[in-house]
Amino acid sequence: MTGSEIAAGLAAVLAWDVLLFLLAGTLLGAVFGALPGLTATMGVAILTPLTFWVSTEQGLAMLIGIYCGAIPAGGIPAVLINIPGTPASIAATWDGYALARRGRAGLALGINSLFAFLGQFASILFLALAAFPIASFGLRFGPAEYFALAVFGISLMAGVSGGRIIPGLLAGMLGLALATVGLDPMTAYPRFTFGSAELLDGLAFVPAMIGLFGLGEVLARMMERTAGPGLAPPPLSRIWPGWSELRRMAAPGLLGSATGTLVGAIPAAGGDIASVIAWEQARRVSRRPEEFGEGSVEGLAASASAANAAIGGAMTTMLTLGIPGDAPSAVLIGALLIHGVQPGPLLFRDHGALVYSIIFSMLLAALLILALGLAGARPLARALRIPEPWLWAGVIVLGVVGSYALNNSLVDVWVMFGAGLLGLVCRRARVPVGPLVLGLILGPMMEANLRRALILSRGDWSALLARPLVVALLAAAVASLAWPVWKAWRARTHSEPSARA
Amino acid sequence: MRRSAALVLTLAAALTHTSACGRPTGPYPSREIKLVIQSTPGGLSDTVSRVLAALMEPELGVPVVCENRPGAAGALAFSYVTRQAPTGYLIGHGPVEIAMVKALGYANVGPEDMDLLCLVTKTKPVLAVRAAGPWRRLEDFLQAARARPGYYIVANSGTGSIWHINALLLERETGIRLVHCPFSGSSAALTALLGGHVDAAVAGTGEVGPHAKAGTLRALAVFDESRSPLFPDTPAVAEAGYRLGVSAWGGFYGPKGLAPEARAKLVAAFRNAFASPRFQALCQERGMEAIFLEPEPFREFALAQAAFFRKAIPELLAGGAR
Repeated sequence: MTGSEIAAGLAAVLAWDVLLFLLAGTLLGAVFGALPGLTATMGVAILTPLTFWVSTEQGLAMLIGIYCGAIPAGGIPAVLINIPGTPASIAATWDGYALARRGRAGLALGINSLFAFLGQFASILFLALAAFPIASFGLRFGPAEYFALAVFGISLMAGVSGGRIIPGLLAGMLGLALATVGLDPMTAYPRFTFGSAELLDGLAFVPAMIGLFGLGEVLARMMERTAGPGLAPPPLSRIWPGWSELRRMAAPGLLGSATGTLVGAIPAAGGDIASVIAWEQARRVSRRPEEFGEGSVEGLAASASAANAAIGGAMTTMLTLGIPGDAPSAVLIGALLIHGVQPGPLLFRDHGALVYSIIFSMLLAALLILALGLAGARPLARALRIPEPWLWAGVIVLGVVGSYALNNSLVDVWVMFGAGLLGLVCRRARVPVGPLVLGLILGPMMEANLRRALILSRGDWSALLARPLVVALLAAAVASLAWPVWKAWRARTHSEPSARA
Repeated sequence: MRRSAALVLTLAAALTHTSACGRPTGPYPSREIKLVIQSTPGGLSDTVSRVLAALMEPELGVPVVCENRPGAAGALAFSYVTRQAPTGYLIGHGPVEIAMVKALGYANVGPEDMDLLCLVTKTKPVLAVRAAGPWRRLEDFLQAARARPGYYIVANSGTGSIWHINALLLERETGIRLVHCPFSGSSAALTALLGGHVDAAVAGTGEVGPHAKAGTLRALAVFDESRSPLFPDTPAVAEAGYRLGVSAWGGFYGPKGLAPEARAKLVAAFRNAFASPRFQALCQERGMEAIFLEPEPFREFALAQAAFFRKAIPELLAGGAR
């Protein structure tokens, strides 16, 4: 790594043609991210063969633009219509949509853009300064560690239940149960598929997510709606957070950035898990935990920064080790190989300038999407002034098209409708859906990796506990379960004297 | 009034669209051709299909539009394509799994239900270990495995996958006993090997190649009769006296009963796209051998493969969860 390599990397990115491809990629990424069902992975994948026809710098700039543009844009439908645009923005629905319903959609979009930038910027900084230590952390994750990470994630179920802990845990169990549909991960024996080949790969996650969040919310709102003229459209709020809000969001934003980078660096764990973990950690340390899920600016800052910091983490693992840190970076490896670039330890030695051109492309894409997001926040927030019935119809159409587009499968559309009905039932019964989604994401990860870990330890459970990272993660899981109990106990013993008085 | 007018217009548009689909106008091809890919975007099948599709467009004079229908090891896409009318406007990418899914019980579809067009790529299996480890030759590994039966763990890309079958064939041919650990795809299996969580892995040349070049993994043997031109320094198992290995491959097919004229045009377009320097370079970079088989030899090859898997898969997987 020399100064001349940094200069060469910067010069390669600042060529006008490369900038143009970067801009095109970022815009395209924003579209892929903002449309539910079209994910960042899909955007990068579909464009990859096309980059075969352009230069390495141009192709990489476009693909990086898509990746860095899609994740922040995924927060837009999460805020506006409660549908995460990509799985990474699930946690953004909890506070972002709540803010929008209180007439503060502009502010929520502004925070989403600003903290997406913070997350990307911080993780790129980590990549530039500490690529190899971060990547070797990712490589230490074997099956036992993935299992422990999933257990830790599942221990957050109570936290994301919004105070309704028992119904939340039941919903979480339902999520875990639904996650068992499909081929057994170890023996490839079909489970709960009822002879249908379409179900062999399990219930598709993205359609389930669109149904639970989007369609479920629309149906619930339709039933709540009273006859007569609807509510007056909410006034447009400001976009920039005030100083006091920024001060409150600084700590969750940094926490989210660090969490996102680390989780992103772990292969097979990406922005979806990172943002849920960051949101829950931010709630723990917050002075106003009761606001989380009800429109907390801190919660949105934590989840947006973590979802985006996962990009830098995943890129770190991909560039240093040649193994994907998440789904979009898996596709990027293929794109690099097409151009004769071999990611891995030798990349930094032999192609230092290229590494810097990738880093600068990411920085520029982050700036571009920040500018786009802030410029677009006001007109996008205005979309909520569309009369509700029209908005709902639009959401349903988007949900159907998005679910179908994912795998070109009609079964996925039915999964979306089924999940929508389930989402409606949950909302009517005041059962939180957050834990259910957590169960769907983490169930397969927990089951397959526990069974793999037991194959590797030859059936010895105690061997799992001989691994420091496993112990640390399981301890964190126990702590996160004990924390609310301890807090409730503290509150009781402290308030008891006054209650008696 | 306006609403019913719009409805009528929509219906009319829908009707003309469907009728256009059923009745080709003019000489083939007169409209876009759909190419169904059996995997998610971004994988090797996807890249090969999309690059070839783009290379064929100028010759065919119509767009070749790719559509991903992943699921059940490709069985969903194979069943879908073979159910459609053989108009020549819908074809599919057919990997080795077209010869496997019936034996695996995922769907009742095989090469005998297809009009096979051509084979374009082949990927040989490789046994990989960590470069820092003690094993330098295949015989080192086999010796260690013979000394401790059922001890060494070999990762594969999923139970019933082509690389799992190859690991089972290695056991059967050499008489060793291994512990098989399935991962979700070769990339995850090799990551586990790099991280030292397993002892060895079986994957394709293209998947192991980058790590071997980087000096982190070592390819002990190619499971085939001859070496891979992409791994000239890695011996084939045949050199050690073993006969085993079944390669992954990729080709194209359509529903059974394609018109001879449409089939000839498609095969010619594939042949020219295959010969282009761009496609040859793609195969080189991604570690696949570029091999072209015309429809008839491809059909014989695919049917023989299906017969092999029909016998081998139940035998090899009969050990239960291994």
